[in-house]
Amino acid sequence: MKILVVNNMAPFVWGGAEELAVHLRKNLIEAGHESEILRIPFQWEPALRIPSQMMMVRAFELSNADRVIALKFPAYLIRHPHKTFWLLHQFRQAYDLHDAGQSNLPEGCEGDELRTLIRNADNESFGEAKKIFCNSAVTKARLRKYNGFDANVLLPPINDPELFPGGETGDYIFAGGRVNGMKRQHLLIEAMQYADKSVKLVIAGPPDEPADAARLVALVEKLGMDDRVQLDLCFLPRETYARYVNGAAAVAYLPFDEDSLGYVAMEAATAGKALISTTDSGGVLGLVRDNETGLVAAPEALSLAQAMTAISQNRRRATDYGAAARELWLDLGISWPATIEALLR
Amino acid sequence: MLEAEGHQVERVYLPQVDHPDLLFQQMAAYRWVDLSAADRVICFRPPAHFISHPHKILWFIHHIRVFYDLWDSEYRGFPDDHTHQGMRDALVAADTVALGEAKRVFANSKVVAARLKRYNGVDSEVLYPPVFAPERFHCRQFNDEIVYVCRMEHHKRQHLLIQAMCHTKTPVRLRLSGKCGGKPYAQELRTLIKQGGLGKRVILEDRWISENEKIDRLADCLAAAYLPLDEDSYGYPSVEASHAGKPILTTTDSGGVLELVQDGINGLVVEPNPVALGAALDALYRDKAKASAMGGAARERLSALNISWSHVLQRLLA
Amino acid sequence: MRIVLFTPALKVSAIGRMACLVALELTRIGHAVTIVRSEDECFLLAKDETHAFGGVELVAWNDHQAVERRLASADAVVYQMGNHFPFHRGCLEWLPQYPGLVCLHDFYLGDLFYGWAQSRRHEAEEVLNQCYGENAARDFFTASGRISFLDETRDTSPMTEWLCAMATGVITHSAWGIDRVKASCPGPVYVVPLAYDAGQGVSARDERREVDDSIHVLTVGHVNPNKRTSSIIRAIASSGVLKDRVAYHIVGSIQDDVLQELEALAGGLGVNLRISGEVNSVDLDEAFRVADIVCCLRWPSLEAASASTIEALLHGKAVVVTDTGFYSELPDHCVLKIRPDDEISSLRLALEQLSLDEHLRRAMGERGRRWASKTFTAQIYAEQVVVASRAVAQARPILDAIGYFRRLISMWGGSGVGVKEALPALKVFDGASPK
Repeated sequence: MKILVVNNMAPFVWGGAEELAVHLRKNLIEAGHESEILRIPFQWEPALRIPSQMMMVRAFELSNADRVIALKFPAYLIRHPHKTFWLLHQFRQAYDLHDAGQSNLPEGCEGDELRTLIRNADNESFGEAKKIFCNSAVTKARLRKYNGFDANVLLPPINDPELFPGGETGDYIFAGGRVNGMKRQHLLIEAMQYADKSVKLVIAGPPDEPADAARLVALVEKLGMDDRVQLDLCFLPRETYARYVNGAAAVAYLPFDEDSLGYVAMEAATAGKALISTTDSGGVLGLVRDNETGLVAAPEALSLAQAMTAISQNRRRATDYGAAARELWLDLGISWPATIEALLR
Repeated sequence: MLEAEGHQVERVYLPQVDHPDLLFQQMAAYRWVDLSAADRVICFRPPAHFISHPHKILWFIHHIRVFYDLWDSEYRGFPDDHTHQGMRDALVAADTVALGEAKRVFANSKVVAARLKRYNGVDSEVLYPPVFAPERFHCRQFNDEIVYVCRMEHHKRQHLLIQAMCHTKTPVRLRLSGKCGGKPYAQELRTLIKQGGLGKRVILEDRWISENEKIDRLADCLAAAYLPLDEDSYGYPSVEASHAGKPILTTTDSGGVLELVQDGINGLVVEPNPVALGAALDALYRDKAKASAMGGAARERLSALNISWSHVLQRLLA
Repeated sequence: MRIVLFTPALKVSAIGRMACLVALELTRIGHAVTIVRSEDECFLLAKDETHAFGGVELVAWNDHQAVERRLASADAVVYQMGNHFPFHRGCLEWLPQYPGLVCLHDFYLGDLFYGWAQSRRHEAEEVLNQCYGENAARDFFTASGRISFLDETRDTSPMTEWLCAMATGVITHSAWGIDRVKASCPGPVYVVPLAYDAGQGVSARDERREVDDSIHVLTVGHVNPNKRTSSIIRAIASSGVLKDRVAYHIVGSIQDDVLQELEALAGGLGVNLRISGEVNSVDLDEAFRVADIVCCLRWPSLEAASASTIEALLHGKAVVVTDTGFYSELPDHCVLKIRPDDEISSLRLALEQLSLDEHLRRAMGERGRRWASKTFTAQIYAEQVVVASRAVAQARPILDAIGYFRRLISMWGGSGVGVKEALPALKVFDGASPK
C-alpha cells in the first residue's frame, strides 16, 4: 500500500514527533509498503493565524495515497478517505492547557471562538477517521474528556532497541533526555545533598535553552557536588547515550506530568535498568512500579534522596528491579512490527 | 548544496492536484502557509510560487501549462468555454501578481523564461539546473553504442530511434534504458525491434536503472541520445551525458534541449524522422574522433552555460 | 455566449421592456439568449401580454426542469432586479443557488425584501440583523405596516447589500447609490446607462399638432407620493400664469383614494387636472406626443435610473427633474433641475420659465433627445453585459474558493475569528477580479 504519514512542521525544529514519523516510515517500508512523510508547516503563534492554517490543511488535495496516518493538529485535518490517527498531540492550548491557564490563546471572546473553531474542526476530523490511536493513556483520556471520542492506546516503540542490551549494574544513576524545567533534573541535584555520599549522578542530554544548562551547573557548584555529579549537557550521539544507559545502576526520569511512558524510561527498561521516578510524573508511571521495577518518590529532594541511596547501596535490589522493568516492558509488547500491524489493521 | 555552504535548510513538500475546479482553493491554501521562520524561501513548481514571504525567490520550472501554452492542445482536458476561459484569465492574473511578489525570478530554461515574459510580463534570469554530484560521471571509452537513458514514454520518442536503426548502414548499436511509462509503449517498442529484425543490435532495458548503471552506460557509450518532443528544459540526460564527455544526439523539435546542444559542436541536431536520425547514428559510428571531440566540447558547453552548483548558489543567494 | 436572462416580461413592466431590447440586441450580435420569466405565478397564469421578444425563447421560473437545463449549459446568468416583489419573485428563487450578474434597477429594495420575507420570516430576520445590526429586524418589521416604511428604512436598511452579496457581479444604471453595492458585491461592479426606447411614438413626432394654447404638463408612472404629483399641482396653483395655461395630465396606475385626493386638491386650487390611470402603449405615446413639459420629479429617489424620464427625453420633450440621485447625473443642458429643499417654488419657477419660452422648450428637448438617443442604447448595454460576464467568469473561481472556505469556517462554528488575518494573503487574487 501507499501510506502517507502526515505531521506538522515547525521550520528548523526537529523533535520526538519528527523522529517518530521517520521511524514509522522506515518501518512501514520494511513491512513492504511504500511510504512518504508529508510535513505541513504550522506556526501556532500568533494564535489568530491558526484558522487560516486550518483552512490551508483542509484544502489540500491528496492523490495517490491509499492511506494516511496523521499525528498532530492541524496536520490531521487533512482530507482523505482512509485516515488513521496516531494522535500524538491535539492542540493542547485549546484544551487542557487552557484549563490550566497556560494557553497562548487570547483572553475573552476571540479566544473562545478559536477554541470552538478548533474543537469543531477536531470533532469533524475525528469523526472522519477510520481508526483513532493515541500515544498514551493521558492523550486518550483527554480525547475522551474534551471531544468525546474513544481511541486505542498505541505506545510508540523505541527506534533502536538493539542499542540497549543492558549490562553490569553500574555505580551511577543516569538521568538522560532533554534538559529543561519540566524534566526537573535539578531536583536530582538537590536530592544529592541528602543522599548517601557514595551516590553518583550523571545528567546527560541537550538543554532546551542555555539557561537550563546554566541552572544545573550553578546548582552543582553551589552545593559543591562536582565530585559526585557529572554533567554532559549537549546533544549526545546515540551510542554515547546508549553507553550511559547500559552501564548505569538505575535510570532516573521524573518529568512533570508526562503524556506517555517516555523514551528515557522505555530505553532504560529495554536495557533492564531499575527506574527512579516521582508520583506526579504522569504516564511514566506506566513503567515505574514502586518496589517492583524501581522506586517512586515524592517530587522533592529528601524523598528522591532516599530512593537514590536505596538503589545505590543495594546492587541486588537494583538488578532485580531492572530485570522486572525489562519484563514489564516486554510484556507490553511494544515493537515496531506490532505497531505497524495495529495501525494498518 | 545550501547546507554544505552552512545554511540551515528546510524542504517543504506540499501536495497539489491540477483539477481546474480545485485549483483556486489550493492556491489560497498555499497563501496561508506560514514560513515566516525562514529568512528566505525558494519556490519551484506551481502553486508554490503563491507562498507569501517577504524574501521569496522563484526558480520557476513550469506553469500549469494547460492554462497557458497548451490551452490549444489535446492535453487541455476540459472545454474551451466561457467558464474555463474565465478560470484561465483568473489564473494568469493571479500568477502574475504572485510572480511579481518575488524578490527574484529565475527560470530553468529560455523556453520557460519566454513563457513568463509572454504570458505574465515577468522578466526572469535563466538559471540552468545542474545534476546531482556531477563528479560521478566520467568517460571510459567510446564503444559502438548510442544510449538513451531515460523513462520510456511516447513523447520521449524512443520509438523514433528504433525506426532510425532500420535506416543505418553501419553496425552502430542502440541501447534504450529506463522504466517504461506503460505496457502499451513497451509493447510498441518491442514490436518495432522485432519487425526491424533489430534483435541483435538494439538492447531494451525496460526497468529502473540505478545511478551506477547509468554512470557506466554513459562512460562507455559512443554518444547519448535525448530527443523528447518539445520539452521545456534540456533535461538531465543531456547534462549527464555532457559531464561524461559524450556528444548528444537530438532533434530540431526537442525544445529546451537545443539550448544545450549545438549541431556539430557538442552533438548532432537533426530532423525528427527515422532517415535523418539513421544518418546521424551512422555519422557518429564512422567518425569516433569527431564524437570524442564533440564530447569534449559538451563538457565545455556546461561551463559556458554556467551549469554548476556554485553558480546556482551564487545566483540564488545574491 | 449562452445567456440565461431572468426578467419580468409583462408589457406593463418597464424593466421587461428594457430586457427585451437588450435580449434582442444580444441575439443580434451573436449570443444565444433564453428568457426566464420572473413574475409571480398569478401573472404567468393570467397570460397577459408580454413584450415582443421575437425569436428569443421564454421559460417560466417555476418550470424547474427547463430552467435547470438551461442553467446547466449557460455561460452567463443575468438577473434583472427591481424593488417590486411580484415581478421579481422568480429571480429570488434561483439567485441563491445560481449566483449571477445582477442588473440592479433600484438601489432601494425594501419592498422586494419584505415580499420575500413573508414566506421565511426567521431567515429574513437573521439577514437583517447580520446586515444592519441587532435591532434591524425589529425596526424593519415594525415599520413595515406603516406609510412611512420607505422613509424609515431607506437609510437604515435599504436591503441593497442583501441582494448584491448574492451576485457575482452588478450592473447598475447610475452611481449615486453605488457605495453599498461596492461594499457588498464580491464581484465586479459597473455603471451602464439604462437601455431604453421611446416606444412607437417618436416617428409621430413630426405630425402636425393641433394648435393649442395650453401648456401640457405630463407625469408618467405609478402614482405614489414620491412622484410628487401633489407638489406639482400646488406649484401650478401658486402661479397665475401656470394656473391659467397649464393642463396637467397624470398617466399611470393609481389607487382610487389617491385619485380622489388629487382631484380634490386640484379642484380646490383651480388647477386643470386630468388623470388617465393606466393606459396602453398607444395612448402613452399619444400623451408624450402632446406634452410640452414632462415632470419627472422624485423624492426620495429610489431607482438607479428612470425609464420614464429616458422615454421623455427620447421623445424630445422638455423635462423637469428633482436634483437628486439619477437625475443629478443628467447633463445640465438637457434638463431643468429643481431643488428638493425648496420644491414648490423651485418647480414653479421652472414651469414658468418653460411655459413662457417655446424656443427653450424645443431647444432643450432636442438637446435632451440627441444626448439620450446615443447614451441609453441597447447596443451599449448589451456590450457591457458581455464585458461584465467575462469579468464575472474571471472572478468566479476565486469567489467559489472563498465560498468553500466560508462554508468550512461556518461548519466549524467560526464567526470571524482569524478571518481578518487570513484575508490580506488573498489580495493576490485582486488582479484576477476587478473587485
